[in-house]
Amino acid sequence: MLRAFMAHRGGHLRWVPYLISAAAVAVVGLAAHVLTRLIPLPHVSILFLAAVLTSAAIWGFWPSVFAAVLSVAASSYFFYSPIYSFRVADVQNVADLAVFVIVAALTSRLAASVRAQAFEARRRQETIAALLAFSERLAASATESELHATILEHLAPAFGRPIHLLLPSEGSLAVAASLGDAAPLPEAIRAAAGRVMAGAQAACPGWRLQGLATAQAEAGVIAARQPAPAADAEYAKALVGHAALAIERARLRREIAEARIKVQGEALREALINSVSHDLQTPLAAILGSATALESFGGQGDPHARRELVATIREESERLASYIENVLDLTRIRSGQITPRLELVELSDIVDAALRRKQKALGGHAVHLQLPPDLPMLRLDLFLMEHALANVLDNAAKYAPAGSELSIVAGVHAGEVVLDVVDSGRGIPAEDQERVFDAFFRGAGPEGRPASGTGLGLAICRAFVEANGGSVAALSPGPRGGATLRLRLPLPENEHAGETAVSDD
Amino acid sequence: MTDAAARILVVDDEPQIRKFLRLGLEGHGYAVLEATTAAAALRVAVAEQPELVVLDLGLPDREGFEVLSELREWSRVPVLVLSVRHREVEKVRAFDLGADDYVVKPFGMAELLARIKAALRRRTQGDAAEPVFRVGALEVDLGRRVVRVDKADVRLSPKQYRLLQVLVSNAGKVVTHRQLLDDVWGAVHRDDIQYLRVFVRKLRRRIEADPARPRYLLTELGVGYRLRTPDQLDGAA
Repeated sequence: MLRAFMAHRGGHLRWVPYLISAAAVAVVGLAAHVLTRLIPLPHVSILFLAAVLTSAAIWGFWPSVFAAVLSVAASSYFFYSPIYSFRVADVQNVADLAVFVIVAALTSRLAASVRAQAFEARRRQETIAALLAFSERLAASATESELHATILEHLAPAFGRPIHLLLPSEGSLAVAASLGDAAPLPEAIRAAAGRVMAGAQAACPGWRLQGLATAQAEAGVIAARQPAPAADAEYAKALVGHAALAIERARLRREIAEARIKVQGEALREALINSVSHDLQTPLAAILGSATALESFGGQGDPHARRELVATIREESERLASYIENVLDLTRIRSGQITPRLELVELSDIVDAALRRKQKALGGHAVHLQLPPDLPMLRLDLFLMEHALANVLDNAAKYAPAGSELSIVAGVHAGEVVLDVVDSGRGIPAEDQERVFDAFFRGAGPEGRPASGTGLGLAICRAFVEANGGSVAALSPGPRGGATLRLRLPLPENEHAGETAVSDD
Repeated sequence: MTDAAARILVVDDEPQIRKFLRLGLEGHGYAVLEATTAAAALRVAVAEQPELVVLDLGLPDREGFEVLSELREWSRVPVLVLSVRHREVEKVRAFDLGADDYVVKPFGMAELLARIKAALRRRTQGDAAEPVFRVGALEVDLGRRVVRVDKADVRLSPKQYRLLQVLVSNAGKVVTHRQLLDDVWGAVHRDDIQYLRVFVRKLRRRIEADPARPRYLLTELGVGYRLRTPDQLDGAA
């Protein structure tokens, strides 16, 4: 606001302060005229100081000088004899006017400088507030493209439109964001921006190029079409500084994240190769071996042995299939292909589907289900959740001894649905309670030896549950000494959505 | 014609899959016809009029879905769709186009045989629909519009009854959300799956002993619902 007002002052409204100052002098003159009729006033010029001071306080030095000159003229013309003449006959009145001019000049200067200081203080305050708001918007930008848009939005008023942000990308300078123009940036401007980026000077007629300097180098270049609106240079400089820092911060953050993904990727690849060599080769060796053994019988052979070999081929193929499915899931998670399709669903549907899928694996266990009938519907991805739960059940079936009890208990606690899968196995040692969710981690089976499987089930489970906005943790010992896997799932905003909206007929 | 003499058209471009299907199905008394492309599949289907089609979705010339929809223009032959991994979007599409069942590769021969048998049985029963459907303790008398559980009458709202009726007339088969919504509420509510879920919840409370672990009205996650036939109930127990 203040900035717009300042721009006005420099423009076509320059004469307004003088007009108002003249009006103030006229008002004081009228008042003095009335007053001198009522009471004798020897020093009328003193009254005009009011107009001069007002003018100084509001408009500054020159308008107040103008007011002072008008005041002297008005005093001598209307009030000092001879009246209606600029001549002043009385020596005392001449002295009067001289004192007036001196006082007016001094107070004008004083008032004008106070005004300038106040004005400057307000300007600084507004600049700081604007920069603060800019910083906050920069910090609140979630993505880099959002950050770029914020920067251009704030720089455009100071630099002009259209405005482009050029950032280094794969060795050259590319337009990262534009505002106010759909037309691409001319190649000549881009080339000039490249020189600015390298720290050199570059001038382009009609364009303003501004490097975004950080402590090390230029973080990027701003290219804006001139004429730019009048704005103070200090403010523009501060804006550029903020923008440069924010861009640099975002770049560093991205590089760190990329480096981390790379390290994780390498660790995963190594674990995968180790796992493949064991989990893929073993069943394959069993299948090939059994098949060639059957082949070698050539239609002869002990019927019992033949049945055994056929059973081995089937079992090992099933194991291979589940291993491949797990690895595919893991690959999907790692490559960021998991996008949950959230919809309101019944938890009991998911539990039932997971139980049906794992019916065979759970055959030896007594499953108890405690799902309250009034459990609210949840906003989840059906398949991810069913898969996550199936993996938990698989895990329980594997680690708890055959014939033992397995409970699935759900309830609402503190704005979440808590789903516990409680087994009666050996439990999970405290130091492993977090590691069970690591890819390729395998705990000890019921007989104490490492359990069969890929060690991927719970890692996949955690990724899928988290993709649904929930969490999963291992608690051990559970109520029956075994392990409890606890899934927490958020309640939707309106937990009864849908239920009341549907009429029965 | 008995099940054992039925001719099954196997449509798959992978020779090793066709080989084991041929061996497995012939070993159980079925006659097997083969096709490796969509064009050949439609040609053989017209010329030979098989009793059942096993259709792979990944074919070299056209998508298996196209074979299915062209087939459905003139034939009600049961179609069993084969596909890799469980991609639910494909599943829904296959059922919406009129597939009778869906089997995910890799699958076991026993499972495939059971599903073929069920599909063939539904086909022969479909012509002479029983007026009373029974599964477990549930009894639906379509003629008199009466539903009983454990011999006791159950009161259903008209919409709940209509829902059950659609499931009964497709018993044993997956009925997709869209098909149910179309049939019960009309095409306007075709996408209100939420609506359907609430209704199924209410229906289950009336016909299932434990609505959390339904025995009759099963949810086919993301696809639709299926009312079990007595065979399927026995098979699951």
